[in-house]
Amino acid sequence: MENKSPLSPHIQIYRWHISSLVSISHRITGIINIVAITLICIWASFLTLGETSYDFMRFFFTSVFGKFITLGIVWSFSFQILSEIRHLIMDMGYGYELQMTRISGLVVIFGSFILTILIYFFGKNFF
Amino acid sequence: MNIVTKKWIFLKISSLILIPLMFWFIINFTAIYDQSYSEIVSFFTNPINKLLFCLFIIFAYFFSALSISEVFEDYVTDPVIKNVANILLYISAIVIPLFTIILLINLKV
Repeated sequence: MENKSPLSPHIQIYRWHISSLVSISHRITGIINIVAITLICIWASFLTLGETSYDFMRFFFTSVFGKFITLGIVWSFSFQILSEIRHLIMDMGYGYELQMTRISGLVVIFGSFILTILIYFFGKNFF
Repeated sequence: MNIVTKKWIFLKISSLILIPLMFWFIINFTAIYDQSYSEIVSFFTNPINKLLFCLFIIFAYFFSALSISEVFEDYVTDPVIKNVANILLYISAIVIPLFTIILLINLKV
């Protein structure tokens, strides 16, 4: 039997808004995060293999590409944190006015980059 | 209660728990990711860090599995592909964190 359930509208048809950008980015970072968490689990599991086996992981993380991946993971997690907070606030019934959705969307987008820099700075210097 | 409502409530509860855990993890991750083997092992053998990390991966996989199944619901038309994708997603969301936790529990300095 043919499935008649409606699918989400094709993203290339409608004009882009801040909220649509935040929504699709939320889904993309959600998928990036499950891949990142799997890599983190592999990284943590490598510890049980001993120091010699872990050298491969350390070589990766100290390389430029490894640092780029780390920053990417921090950004993706930062985006999810801010976007989830936005969702929770909206679930409580706040922030539905058109102007407010634009402002909160911009806060999520720009805030994720600022949060990435702050987390990296604090992580490297104070922990 | 409707199954979709239950799913939404689980998604919101796990999101509330996950936000502080995610924040704790990424700050600590940036602090240790390029450190020596002994420093990372000492981080993971600390009982509080071990407990928080285990909770982090459990809730992260739980939340991700629920959210990604919503993505499948919205974008995958074929019910067979959707079911197979959901089964694989839920199995990996149980097996990967469980396997990692067992390995970490046995990790010694």
